[in-house]
Amino acid sequence: MMTDDQQRNEFLETYFQADASVRQPKFVGLLQSLKSLSDVQGEDAAATWAKRAVSPVLDYSSLMKLRRFLMPKKVVGGAGNALRLAILGGPTTTQLRQFIEVFLAAEGMSAEIYEGDYGLFRQEILAPGSGLDEFQPQVIFLATGARDVSRMPSIEMGEEAVSELASAELDDWSLLWETANAKWNATVILNNFEIAPGSVMGHYRLRYPAAREHYLERLNKMMADRAAAYVVLHDLQGLAAEAGARSWFDPRFYLEFKMPCGAECLGAYAHSVFSLLRAVVGKSKKVLVLDLDNTLWGGVVADLGAGGIRLGQGSGEGEAFLAFQNYVKELQRRGVLLAVCSKNDDANAREPFEKRPDMILKLNDVSCFVANWENKADNLRSIADRLELKLDAFVFVDDNPAERAIVRQFAPEVAVPDMPEDAAGYVHALALHRYFETVAFTREDTARSRYYSENAQRKEMASRSTDLNSFLASLGMRMKVDTVNELNIERVTQLVNKSNQFNLTTRRYTLAQMREISRSPEWLTLTFSLKDNLGDNGLIGVILAHKREGSMAVDTWVMSCRVLQRGVEHFARNELVELARKRGCHSVLGTYIPTPKNGMVKDHFARLGFVQTGADGDCTLWSLQVDPLLKPLDHFIVREVTNE
Amino acid sequence: MNNTRATVRKVFREVFDDPTIELRDDMTADHIDGWDSMMHINLIIALERALGIKFATAEISRMKEPGENVGSLVALIEAKVCKG
Repeated sequence: MMTDDQQRNEFLETYFQADASVRQPKFVGLLQSLKSLSDVQGEDAAATWAKRAVSPVLDYSSLMKLRRFLMPKKVVGGAGNALRLAILGGPTTTQLRQFIEVFLAAEGMSAEIYEGDYGLFRQEILAPGSGLDEFQPQVIFLATGARDVSRMPSIEMGEEAVSELASAELDDWSLLWETANAKWNATVILNNFEIAPGSVMGHYRLRYPAAREHYLERLNKMMADRAAAYVVLHDLQGLAAEAGARSWFDPRFYLEFKMPCGAECLGAYAHSVFSLLRAVVGKSKKVLVLDLDNTLWGGVVADLGAGGIRLGQGSGEGEAFLAFQNYVKELQRRGVLLAVCSKNDDANAREPFEKRPDMILKLNDVSCFVANWENKADNLRSIADRLELKLDAFVFVDDNPAERAIVRQFAPEVAVPDMPEDAAGYVHALALHRYFETVAFTREDTARSRYYSENAQRKEMASRSTDLNSFLASLGMRMKVDTVNELNIERVTQLVNKSNQFNLTTRRYTLAQMREISRSPEWLTLTFSLKDNLGDNGLIGVILAHKREGSMAVDTWVMSCRVLQRGVEHFARNELVELARKRGCHSVLGTYIPTPKNGMVKDHFARLGFVQTGADGDCTLWSLQVDPLLKPLDHFIVREVTNE
Repeated sequence: MNNTRATVRKVFREVFDDPTIELRDDMTADHIDGWDSMMHINLIIALERALGIKFATAEISRMKEPGENVGSLVALIEAKVCKG
């Protein structure tokens, strides 16, 4: 006989291994299990399981029910690090806010949320002493829409009048984001305008500027052109189209309750905003791990041979796999790292890549290729080790439900989307989770996977070199040192906000704050870009420090983990000391603020010769005297260009 | 109890998170813990989904008027389900 506890645990485990279609009829059972778990083991135990049940495909009522188990506390997670998010609505935002909280909680992101009153977004931002002013938001989500446009053209207006009207309308909106940024240095997430079907002008609207749809499209285009860098645009119009105009524009709930869209679209809306918030804090996923057989091509290559697998033009199925490969390739070009994890002999797994010219994905698109007979959860761990990334940055795509179940159970940090049986649905099944949202796109993104494959080569060289020093010398490293400036500020902000491991203080800055720092004479900013014989590593380190009573205090020190163990820290310390000396400082001060992720730099300052001067709670404080006898630390890096 | 009534009761129990709720025709929002305007919206949305029906705007407006109760709500739903 099984006890109640065993029965419940077995139910939960089976539930979470199953796919959405299998889960749906078991949802009532899930709620009962969560409830009994909450009674027996407490709210936290239930919340841990409830988090995993959250999905953007759930309906309104299911999300509301899960919310009960996720929201026992106002602030989820550690309050100290919580993101201060303001949601300001044109329409009412209660349910939208509730669902955004659900997705944040499921991702383990903590936020303190301020919700403005319905329709008062302009006053909140513009009026001095508003509730928002008191709250001091870091991120403002303007949950507005087409109903909040103040100026609509009348039907007889010509092009010139419409254009002037649109320009005046956009002036109002830019005043909002400019004010939000000036007052609070806030990042602004701004909806564009959704376009309801039912045009008075019919198809002629395309050629008629005063037509409502034509005008809103113009506003959307102008908004995208004019929005400042600290504005993150949210494509509400695209979302409405994706959800389907008929369900999105269900006017009943707006008329009665001022809800922004049809009830069953609210989950998708909240999830879409959540995915941007995740990108703003640098927690978008970074790696896509792919199975091969029946995921990238049809059939089993070990049985059919490279010539026999179904791929390419001529059959619908073959083209569906091509379309999926195409989508994955575009993600890779955008900066998402690819890895392969396949149950195969290595030679068989590589054969299609080597022999089939119609394979869109090539071996050198893949940063880490693993084909063996080990279990996939273990393989994912080893891929994470090799890429030096955490599993919570991973997405695993496999057509086989059994493999997905194993990974869900034994590597629960990995995101595992349900895949349909039909390959034609793969792109949609992956895309709907918005794992890889980004708020900026830099040159470094396109080159990222090259850095990682070069790093794999470097590791191989290191294993061949008999001692570390001769290996480092053989790399021929050249470092470019620069300040934070307009040319690198986007990459710098991205690095500062994304780095979790090699990050001494985990302080996050918006683009606007970073710009302020870069222009302030009180601040010292340093960026490091590393090249070696194997390639260009790009901008890999940032130090921000400010002068305080004759000392140079390090506010932020982040480095990309891919250049660890190469003397970069030594090089950086020497630069920092030199500049502190030039600015007349007698010491350099350091702080280490521990987080669950940055244990690797706990002894960073000690390793660089700093002396611990105290502690403040969990934080440790460090100091290094800048006297003339202080010797530079050894390294094998040549300084390339001097800017200061 | 017919099927529709049983489904309505099930929805009430789930939305208000109370497995002991029994419905009587003369019940109003005052008789059920937590039946505020927000929960009213959740109730309408859950009923529409569970029963595959759509309330008209005027019907949603009328639910808030005095004299309306669980009896009139169930009658409205039954009429819709029969037509369906």
